[in-house]
Amino acid sequence: MTSTSPLANVQINFNAEWNPRTRRVGVIARKIGNYPIWLKNGKKVQTTLLQVIDNHVIKYIPPEEFKPMLIRKPNWREKRTLGCLLVGAETIDPSTVTKDYCGLFNATGMLPKRYLCRFMITPNAALPPGTPLLATHYRVGDYLDIRAKTIDRGFQGVMKRWGFKGMPASHGVTKTHRRPGNIGSGGGKARVWPGTKMPGHMGNSTKAGSKIEIAGSEIEWKFATRIEIENENKMKKIKCVIKIRISEGKKMQTDTSTRVWRTLRGVKILRIDTKHNVLWTLGVAIPGETGAMCYLFDTVLPLRRHKEPPPFPTHPPSADLPIEYIHESVHDFSDPTITFEDN
Amino acid sequence: MFKTILHKIHPVSQTARTIHTTSCLNEVRLLCRLRVVDNSEIGKQAMAEGKPPRIICVYNKQRVGYIGDRVLVAIKGQKKKGILVGLKQTQNTKVPKFDSNNVALIDDSGAPLGTRIHAPIPTILRTILKERTHTKGADYTKLLSIATKFV
Amino acid sequence: MFLNVPQDEKRRKKWFQAVLRDNPKTKSNFFCCEDHFDFECSGRRKNPEEEGVAAPTEEGEASETVQERSGRCVRKPSLAEEYKQAYPEFLPDPNPKWRNSLREKLERMDMLKRRNQIDIPEFYVGSILAVTISDPHAQGKTNRFVGICIERKGCGLRAEFTLRNVVDHHGVEVRYELYDPTIQQIQVLRLEKRLDNKLFYLRDALPEYSTFPFDMEPEILPEGAPIPVNPIKVQLKKRPWLERWERQELQGVYKISKMINKKQKKNRILRREPWVKYDLMKEYRLTAGVIGWPAARRARAQYLYVKCSKAHERETEFKFVTCPNTLGSVGHAVRRAVA
Repeated sequence: MTSTSPLANVQINFNAEWNPRTRRVGVIARKIGNYPIWLKNGKKVQTTLLQVIDNHVIKYIPPEEFKPMLIRKPNWREKRTLGCLLVGAETIDPSTVTKDYCGLFNATGMLPKRYLCRFMITPNAALPPGTPLLATHYRVGDYLDIRAKTIDRGFQGVMKRWGFKGMPASHGVTKTHRRPGNIGSGGGKARVWPGTKMPGHMGNSTKAGSKIEIAGSEIEWKFATRIEIENENKMKKIKCVIKIRISEGKKMQTDTSTRVWRTLRGVKILRIDTKHNVLWTLGVAIPGETGAMCYLFDTVLPLRRHKEPPPFPTHPPSADLPIEYIHESVHDFSDPTITFEDN
Repeated sequence: MFKTILHKIHPVSQTARTIHTTSCLNEVRLLCRLRVVDNSEIGKQAMAEGKPPRIICVYNKQRVGYIGDRVLVAIKGQKKKGILVGLKQTQNTKVPKFDSNNVALIDDSGAPLGTRIHAPIPTILRTILKERTHTKGADYTKLLSIATKFV
Repeated sequence: MFLNVPQDEKRRKKWFQAVLRDNPKTKSNFFCCEDHFDFECSGRRKNPEEEGVAAPTEEGEASETVQERSGRCVRKPSLAEEYKQAYPEFLPDPNPKWRNSLREKLERMDMLKRRNQIDIPEFYVGSILAVTISDPHAQGKTNRFVGICIERKGCGLRAEFTLRNVVDHHGVEVRYELYDPTIQQIQVLRLEKRLDNKLFYLRDALPEYSTFPFDMEPEILPEGAPIPVNPIKVQLKKRPWLERWERQELQGVYKISKMINKKQKKNRILRREPWVKYDLMKEYRLTAGVIGWPAARRARAQYLYVKCSKAHERETEFKFVTCPNTLGSVGHAVRRAVA
């Protein structure tokens, strides 16, 4: 064969300058479980393991061409300053998906991916299609914002879903121990007011058009419920309903506790395995059950943001990396037993 | 009862724990009986008479006594202060759990009423009591010096 | 999947030779467990048909397990079974929702790294251990505790065990994490098992049963000896107890039925099989003469029912499910009758 793969000559522009206002691309990872590790001071901490699975850049859309579907009137100053990088994870068999979906990947010459995510980036962080993204995109000690779908808890009552207090167990209370009680007054308001906290499905809803969180600062995810990508062949809009469900532009509500997607901010990375592309993150509060997909971003918290330039635009793939990076505060299991000095 | 049934269905496996049944918390709360473990006169008498002291106040915000907490007890018709030096409830790893809730009596300045403690004392109390001792306030570290054994 | 052992006598003989079993006299059907077959392997360790009879390509290697039609699997106790007992924390998580092969692999690698640093010995519930830890609170910055292991739980790096001892007439229990890097040494002073999986009843037993001196000398078992089981029966204190020990069918407690009153004895039997009173088919299964039953089977069922009801009357500890074979065929017959 004379033609070469387009992936063979991926040229990453490492000369790009990083500044504190830059936004890098994130990665897609799978939550593979929790286990404890110990710090050098003998304290035990719980960690969550995130595996970065087979991430590749699919497409870069510069800010001028990026026209996402508008759900509501944009209140967005940096509208034209951010481009979009489409990242895919986990290669799948092309015969299992539609031709239209495969068409997205034709330009880069890649097999289709099971999970897709759009990351809003500044143009200087752009990456050419086909660039692999690895766990070394982050360093130990960095902080992440992790977005994932919450655990599906099914139809729940108000006590579990909204944290209502319920009613007493005794003192004449009958049959209303866990019920919501009154939901409104009469008169002109004699109806169920919209937004009343009621029993219902809690977490990871599969219904289209259900309640979806839109936090004000989450520009990246404002339009995440619907992915539209222009197919180059037919110039036809395709709706990708692979994992991210379509919400047909219905009225959105901002919920805090029953929302489907949740973002945990400022999660510290304690350890990185470069061989298996696994990140150990502090804490067990990352939403979703074992096996859930997570979307990792550099944190937006002002005190935990990058002070120094991170691997930019991403870490170059190289063969001679150490197998593990461990944060200085963490005890490596191959170190000898911890002892304490007498002061 | 559920645990017993599940144990019968799967005698060995741990998977049978699908139903959660709580056990007793053994918390040190108001009106809970304690065991005096020092050799103070009043403490010895109360234990010998079979009238162990009762908690009438726990000096913390939770109102549940944890290890090293100061408590007010009613003992032989008097009010005395004490420090919890051993607890029955489940502890963290490496912290000993005792078969009884042990208390050592102190006075207002933190000095112990007895001269010996006839029970093993958790080593973590050294750190806890040092942290709670202030330069001009009560000095609880005297309690550590009358302990006979640390575990 | 099981493979049918050929009926032909010569070939059958070779198969049984290959699996190191005696050729049975009967002509009944035999099955070979597929697990140990290695179709792709060119090695063919024990090919029964390598010489002589033309070997059919699929039946490469006979297995070590011969399965009879009745479903009984004759198996040698393997090394894996022993390790399961000795190192239970290497087993996967009991909850299948939390399993992930990569996580388990990384976790086990960390466990082995820790095991390279210190010797974590084989021990069981009932063994007497001495644990030395680095303790920032203690005076010499180390702390040693001796006690009997009353519980082991958790898997992976979460594995924990609890030691119990009576120090100065005060019962003390300390929980340790097996892979905690502050543990300097775990020493087995006496390696043995007890009759129960959990020894929480020692909390309600007389103190001498859980008193062990701190200066105990380690007792060394001869090489290759099986782990001894200590058949000691523990004398409990008088009631009240922390738990209803009488309902837990403990083996290691001395004459527990003498320490409980009539009501508790009655409840104990009721709680043993609480589902029985909801079993709508019990009476029918035990008494009904299903059409097509041989007389002998009917008689056996009748006998069982009588024995069982008498047992309940006497409130003894008789278990009525004594003969699984009979009950199995009864169930089968009932199913047939319904169909």
